[in-house]
Amino acid sequence: MFQTTRTLSRRDYLRAGSLGFFGLDLARALAAASPAKAKSCILIWLEGGPAQMDTFDPKPNSSFRPIATNVAGIQVSELLPQLAKRMDRLALIRSMSSFGDDHPQAVHYAATGHLHNPAMQFPSLGSIVGKEKGPRNGMPAYAIVPKFEGGRQYEDYFRSAFLGADYDPMLVPDPAKGNFEVPDMGLPKSVTTAAIDSRQEFRKIIEQEYRARVASAEHSKVDSFQKKALEMLLTPGVREAFDLSKESDKTRDTYGRDSVGQSLLLARRMVEAGTRFVTAAGYHGSSWDTHSDNDRLHRDRLTPPLDRGLSALLDDLVARGLYDETIVIAMGEFGRTPHINPGLGRDHWPKCWSLAIGGGGLRVGQAVGKSDERAANVIDRKTSIGDLFATVYKAMGIDWHQEYMTPVGRPIKIANSFEDSTGEPVRELFG
Amino acid sequence: MKVIAGLLCSLLAGALAAAPVELVSLRLEPAQAALRGRGASQQFVAMGRLADGSEIDVTGEALFAVRDQAIATLRERGRVFASADGATQLTVTAAGKTAQANLAISKSDETKPFSFGRDIGEILTRRGCNSSRCHGGVKGQAGFKLSDNAIHAREDYRWIVDGGVFQVLSSESGGPLKPRIDKAAPEQSLLLRKATMEAPHGGGRRFPKDSDDYLAILAWVRNGAPFGATAGGEAAGAEGAKVVKLETFPREIVLPAERKQRILVTARFSDGHTEDFTHRVLYTASDNAIARVSGVGEVETRGAGEAAILIKAAGRSVRVGVGVTGPPVPNYPKTASHNFIDDEVFAKLRRFQIVPSGLASDAEFVRRVALDIAGRIPPPERVRAFVADRDPRKRAKLIDALLDSPEYVDYWTFRLSDLFRVSIFPVGINPKWTQQYSEWIREAVEQDRPFSEVARERIAAQGYSASSRHYLPYLVIPPAENMMGEQVRVFLGRRLDCAQCHDHPYEEWTQDQFWGLTAFFGPMFKLGGNPDSVIFDFPQGKEVAADVPTPTPLGVFHPRTKQKVQPMLLDGKVLPFEKTEFPRAELATWMTAHPYFAEAAVNRLWSNFFGRGLVNPVDDFRSTNPPSHPELLAKLAAEFTRGGFRSKNIIRLIANSRAYQLASTPTPSNTADRINYSHALPRALDAEILLDAIGDVTGVRDRHTVGTNRGEWRGGKTPLGTRAVELKESDIYPSPFFDAYGRPNRYSVPERDVSPKLAQALHQWAGTTYNNRLWGPGSRAQRLVEIGAPNVRIVEEFYMAAFARPPSAAESAALDKIITAAPQREQAIQDMVWAIINSREFAENH
Repeated sequence: MFQTTRTLSRRDYLRAGSLGFFGLDLARALAAASPAKAKSCILIWLEGGPAQMDTFDPKPNSSFRPIATNVAGIQVSELLPQLAKRMDRLALIRSMSSFGDDHPQAVHYAATGHLHNPAMQFPSLGSIVGKEKGPRNGMPAYAIVPKFEGGRQYEDYFRSAFLGADYDPMLVPDPAKGNFEVPDMGLPKSVTTAAIDSRQEFRKIIEQEYRARVASAEHSKVDSFQKKALEMLLTPGVREAFDLSKESDKTRDTYGRDSVGQSLLLARRMVEAGTRFVTAAGYHGSSWDTHSDNDRLHRDRLTPPLDRGLSALLDDLVARGLYDETIVIAMGEFGRTPHINPGLGRDHWPKCWSLAIGGGGLRVGQAVGKSDERAANVIDRKTSIGDLFATVYKAMGIDWHQEYMTPVGRPIKIANSFEDSTGEPVRELFG
Repeated sequence: MKVIAGLLCSLLAGALAAAPVELVSLRLEPAQAALRGRGASQQFVAMGRLADGSEIDVTGEALFAVRDQAIATLRERGRVFASADGATQLTVTAAGKTAQANLAISKSDETKPFSFGRDIGEILTRRGCNSSRCHGGVKGQAGFKLSDNAIHAREDYRWIVDGGVFQVLSSESGGPLKPRIDKAAPEQSLLLRKATMEAPHGGGRRFPKDSDDYLAILAWVRNGAPFGATAGGEAAGAEGAKVVKLETFPREIVLPAERKQRILVTARFSDGHTEDFTHRVLYTASDNAIARVSGVGEVETRGAGEAAILIKAAGRSVRVGVGVTGPPVPNYPKTASHNFIDDEVFAKLRRFQIVPSGLASDAEFVRRVALDIAGRIPPPERVRAFVADRDPRKRAKLIDALLDSPEYVDYWTFRLSDLFRVSIFPVGINPKWTQQYSEWIREAVEQDRPFSEVARERIAAQGYSASSRHYLPYLVIPPAENMMGEQVRVFLGRRLDCAQCHDHPYEEWTQDQFWGLTAFFGPMFKLGGNPDSVIFDFPQGKEVAADVPTPTPLGVFHPRTKQKVQPMLLDGKVLPFEKTEFPRAELATWMTAHPYFAEAAVNRLWSNFFGRGLVNPVDDFRSTNPPSHPELLAKLAAEFTRGGFRSKNIIRLIANSRAYQLASTPTPSNTADRINYSHALPRALDAEILLDAIGDVTGVRDRHTVGTNRGEWRGGKTPLGTRAVELKESDIYPSPFFDAYGRPNRYSVPERDVSPKLAQALHQWAGTTYNNRLWGPGSRAQRLVEIGAPNVRIVEEFYMAAFARPPSAAESAALDKIITAAPQREQAIQDMVWAIINSREFAENH
């Protein structure tokens, strides 16, 4: 008795109100029936926001020229020569439109599909995919590579919020660093099989009195995590997934020895081993935030690792037969201004920007949506973050109409689009 | 027992005559009634008193009679209707007892002028049409929007009579205007055809054709669908007076399972008069497994637990808590009371027949209180001395000593830093400012400054650079609505955020109130760039200086009306910008004087000692999330206010209460209790406290690596001996331990999550915090081995350090046996230390 605290939640209220069924709508029924090929997703996080006209949506107001790709009729910026040869493996969405004039708001919006609200936290796309699809082969369902160092504001936006610790991302250090090692993923030498047994034996005695006396639901949770942890530590495949030394030098070079390339390589190893969602975030520190010197930075610092790393990833996924079951997305939190500012930079521009998406059984080799002649406004197929999320969900066989209930009884759409509507999968990417 | 069991049978059988019920007395609720106007009615409840002093509802079995039937008539059980002006009496008889109530009837030939808000609004509420899931939802339903609980009658009228498609964040219709009524053919009105399912309706049939509600709406349309009386504004009641409050009898229901109690609902109007609303409200039970409620307020208790009946009408809501008690405990023991906290806690436990656990042992107490007041496990020598002390006042003395300790200042600075969000913000915040802000908090704790003063400084923070001292985020002025939401959450314990885009679904908070309160933060202005900036309120928006551009209109604009909003307090008082130089200071004064302020503050303090607030979550006060102990909360708040808002007063009271000092071992009747403080519940230690405790127990302390908010490592380390609790913002200290156990989240709520995580389990098995501290020079284990301590002594020292108790004989013997049998003694001791610092008894406060 009295085991639960009963306060009146919105859900209770509804249930008690017995307002009848609203019936399953057709779209929803169809969603459940559509065949889903994708098993995992790699999000290449272009933190800071790339200039759409200097990357995927070339325009006259870019200093760079457009080049032809291997798909007739689609051009990209000359800064992406390798990707141009692989456009048949990607689709471009050139009509993304989102919110947030500054990074914190925009990152939050892009990561969760919801406007930032200091009074509550929203689950990120990765956590939702992790929850809906569940872990495989002892691998963590969701990871961020590399983790955010220091200021963790953005990291919080990529977490599980009220979904709970089970769906938080695993935080992996930067694999491009010389001393790369995933902490706590391997037992130290001192912890031998004998030590594991001995520790367990001690613990049994030490925990006995307290556990018998003080009951708590948390205790069984602790035990289940302990069990899972040992399983992971003792499963060679899990450890191996994080061991980049298993890759040839040639492969490592092809991806690029920088944070972007090595994170993508590790992401591929992780999804191959069973992880559902990896945010490959080699561009930390708002790298793409080119308020000054936009052109030089795009040319020399920013596009080369993307062009190289994403191309290597696409080739590698295809070669390993993983391409059709892995969604790949390259995006930032917004685009950049159509005009160049006095510091030769471009500022934040959420109302019209571009992203690349492919794999996972999606229809590629096409450009969806159109922007105006300066890539300043969407003129066709305005697409929201909620639409993007719904696309990922549909490709993975997740019902994108779902709403989760927060602990205080507020329903949260998992694919939240404009004006509080539910996002719709980008139809051109299917069928 | 027998009487109750017998009564139960009779209630179920519905035949009182056959039951051996013995009532001591009988009374009617209400004791008298004044019925005003045509068709006025009053529901009565007959309450019988039993020999044990408790009262039961016998309405269902009683006989009612009105003396003068020309004046009033009984049409339903216990419900009297006015017929003609005059006075008479209602008599009730049950189990041989009789009771009476005086009835006064006036204006019985006077019909109330029609009011759309009252008369049609009532139907829309009662039938669930305007509930938050249906048309009362944020977006309405299928383009048709009604205000939740008919709070905005004008707008409801417009959507019904003019029609149109509702859009969020706009007052424009999203489609052509098509009236939802048909004045030419009233029966064809969409409103009626939908509600009766003559036309397909997602919400199903709300009422049958020709029901009273159907006929009332039909009559209204036939009359030309007037808006009617408006004098009292929206949600108007009789003669234009507004319903200001709904009151219930009883205010709370505490009964065993399978019993009945009727609820009476009385509406109190702005002109002071009251009306019986028992039959004019929507009743909703929060948990049908605990209690059910009928459409007219008859509650039936089912399974043990606590639930609530939510009642809504006329834009107001009220809730009746229902406690369904377990089986009675024979010879329920008397528990000594240390102070008023215990009076309240133990009285409720008695009512619910839950027996509290005994007093915690000295060892259990000293560990618990040292962790709760000073954030540390007491060292073994302090535990031994305390246990040995014969002074009967030793617990009170220990509490005083802890309150005066430097560790108290460290610990509560750390606590308050979570709430006040001491953090490195990635945008333009310099760690130096965090330091200043943190110092201000530390001073407040050290001097036990009145919390009201501290709050006023934070709400109204302004000035040159050092504005950061009082509220760091002000250095980059965030959106006004976020600042308002934050301050109201922190200092009033309420979340208004839902009302940002729509009227709050549970509360009476409206969107207008939200933006009115937000407007106080509208004129904040920052002059100059970081780091040399100044922040101040600039309500007039005049030029600052000739060479400084006038800022774009400062202020807050209502998202729906697009009008500039004037600052308005929650009580509706408007403070126009022309009359105030410094709106936030006015708001701060109002907020800290409001009763909510003290309640929210003591509730937070309380939660630190019990792991949950009297209102839980601590920042979610609302009428549908009421305190578990309302009187206790009120008394604590009064005490806090009386003592000049000094936190130490309240901490001292709480720590000295017997309720706080109860053992964690449950009794048979309280094992399942989680909300009534019948025994101490385990609480996981926060990451910093746990890390410090691991250092204390093992004797191996690490220095914390210093990073920056950009993630670059400077390679520096904190001075040896720096405790984790002293780190001002753990974000800048790279640490696998903090990564696994969670750093405080100081960007949004909740600030902390201490639930178990997989990363922790991995870290326990494989991480440095747990594996590198088991042995080494200066470690407790190595020191003990070096002085030649035998196994049992080593076991005892670790138990005292980690659990503040010696091992039992069985534990000692079992552990000694394993160590003795091990091939390598030192390795075995390390494994034991590992098991101790990984146990829940260590990682929790209990």
